[in-house]
Amino acid sequence: MNATRRRGARIRLALAGIATLAIIGPLLWLWQSSLMPGTYSVMDMGYADHGGAQAMHGSGHSGHLAAGPGGPSAPTRSLNEFIADPDRKADVDVTLVARKQRFKLATGRSVDGYTLNGTSPGPVINATAGQLVQVRLVNESVPDGITLHWHGVDVPNSVDGVAGVTQDAVTVGGSHVYRFVADQAGTFWYHSHQVSHEQVQRGLLGALVVAPAQAHAGTTDVVALLHLYDGARTVNGREGDVRVDASPGSRVRVRVINTENGQTSVWAGAPFRLLAVDGTDLNDPGPVRGTAVPLTAGGRADLEVTMPEDGSPVRVHIGGPTGLVLGSRSHDAPPVPRPTTNLDLLGYGTPAPLGFDPDQPDRRFTYEIGRRPGFLDGMPGIWWTVNGHMFPDVPMFVVAEGDVVRMRISNQSGETHPMHLHGHHAVVLSRNGVPATGSPWWVDSLEVPDGDSFEIAFLADNPGIWMDHCHNLPHAAEGLVAHLMYEGVTTPFTVGGPNHNKPE
Amino acid sequence: MGKHLMKLAYKILAYFIAVEVAVQASMVVLGDAGLFKYIEQGGVLDKAAAESGAIQFPEFFAFIVHGINGMMVIPAVALILLIVSFFTKIPRAVGAAGLVLGLVVLQVALGLLGHSIPALGALHGVNALLLFSAAVYAARRGRAAVVSTPAQPVRV
Ligand SMILES: [Cu+2]
Repeated sequence: MNATRRRGARIRLALAGIATLAIIGPLLWLWQSSLMPGTYSVMDMGYADHGGAQAMHGSGHSGHLAAGPGGPSAPTRSLNEFIADPDRKADVDVTLVARKQRFKLATGRSVDGYTLNGTSPGPVINATAGQLVQVRLVNESVPDGITLHWHGVDVPNSVDGVAGVTQDAVTVGGSHVYRFVADQAGTFWYHSHQVSHEQVQRGLLGALVVAPAQAHAGTTDVVALLHLYDGARTVNGREGDVRVDASPGSRVRVRVINTENGQTSVWAGAPFRLLAVDGTDLNDPGPVRGTAVPLTAGGRADLEVTMPEDGSPVRVHIGGPTGLVLGSRSHDAPPVPRPTTNLDLLGYGTPAPLGFDPDQPDRRFTYEIGRRPGFLDGMPGIWWTVNGHMFPDVPMFVVAEGDVVRMRISNQSGETHPMHLHGHHAVVLSRNGVPATGSPWWVDSLEVPDGDSFEIAFLADNPGIWMDHCHNLPHAAEGLVAHLMYEGVTTPFTVGGPNHNKPE
Repeated sequence: MGKHLMKLAYKILAYFIAVEVAVQASMVVLGDAGLFKYIEQGGVLDKAAAESGAIQFPEFFAFIVHGINGMMVIPAVALILLIVSFFTKIPRAVGAAGLVLGLVVLQVALGLLGHSIPALGALHGVNALLLFSAAVYAARRGRAAVVSTPAQPVRV
């Protein structure tokens, strides 16, 4: 009888052990298989998606960190070949020295972060369309290494500034030169793309303004760069209002740059026109009043305010009670409550030719954002997915130079995502099936709210390997990253490696 | 001996989940109260500020605690509770632990889906009460076993 009981107890224990293994085993396996190697090439990440086009080099590109799509027979070019004319003299030549330091905001608040030439935001880089910009970046004391990415400028791939993809992070004591032709007039910004979710937040950024070749006479031009330092909301590094002199009847162009991880909105106490979005002029933008302009994380909006003839000042709000006061420096303008309506760019301005036919695409891609539980490099959590796959098993969107590319970006993840495609501007064709009827709406940073879907199109005219990621930078670090890759282009750089490249 | 240890572990883990559910309820209301006070005093919270990684109002930490507890700590403890339940001889321990884990999974799903469909957030609140009850029910299974022990014939 005792023996039976003991045998029963043993069977029970064995069953309990088996049940435990049945739970722990798969979890351990999932955990183990999610671990990333210390060093890898983004070309080996995920699986190739040819967007319905015939693959040039076969389909030898599948699974988690498999072999890249470039077969041995394929003619390949290193992305290092994509550079600005090396013999051309620079028109704008800037040196930026990066430091890790405590610095003071104008109000005296002390911030522990990073500076460029002793300030954050770094100096505004001004160029005129067509000029060759050369920036020498020196890392004096940022321990993790740094890079500079030219957000919104469709630069040659080798100077895109993504650590581990287009260059190695610049280590302490090192330097790196970026050269590109600023061929499009507009508002842009630059920021580090090494450990970017931390370095951007702590100040490694600045504005880049490209003026048109023929300047608009009689217009005051002002940059309004939004950034929060330790929760303190600043415009151009100042807490409180930025005051701008403007005479009655004159025009002021306010170049608002959202360097934050979340969307903000811009509204004004007077009618205004929205001249440009993401560094691209809108066609025939009309005056609006009592409406707010939503501004994507990483995006830019250029507003033009015509000053009232009676000399009263005008307040431009950026996301909250503060912003800019245009007019005389001595008179304040009362705050204006945030309008309840948003300017919908789907129908703003009038149509204009796109330069290609989006209805005859060579490639069609889907970029569907979701969320599910799993392990990300060994960390359990509920992580973002792209087309149902979790990082690093995400699609590699493969195109050929000259392709017209259509992409459907949709979001079912429960949170909004500001999606940023490097090296290209894409035009918005429709939102939730409603076609765009206004000015061509070109974006490099597109807010895709939860539950929405956008059709966008772009011309693949800038060969290289380009990140296509969420610009809520912590989300990118949580795996919301894919790449756009041109057939036959390779990168000699790797994530990890001796420079500890970590683009997100 | 090991059995008693398992029984004790089971009870402690189940009560721990019940306490955690109470902590979750208090944290989310603390965070909301802090947010409304912040707005009351003229504070503005747009997505840019909310995602800036910095604390805008002192009670913001409560939302962070709610997130870490709800998506990491409680699911992990519920899983351990289920595993421990296999090794106790407490009647219906496995069933109770399974129920707790199931309600935890449902709770996380409702919490996240509530971001898209706020009405599901209301169910998240109700499900919290079910989860609390299930955790207390599980914790008290061991007690039932202790009470029933003398009733079993003892062999020498
Ligand atoms: Cu995101």
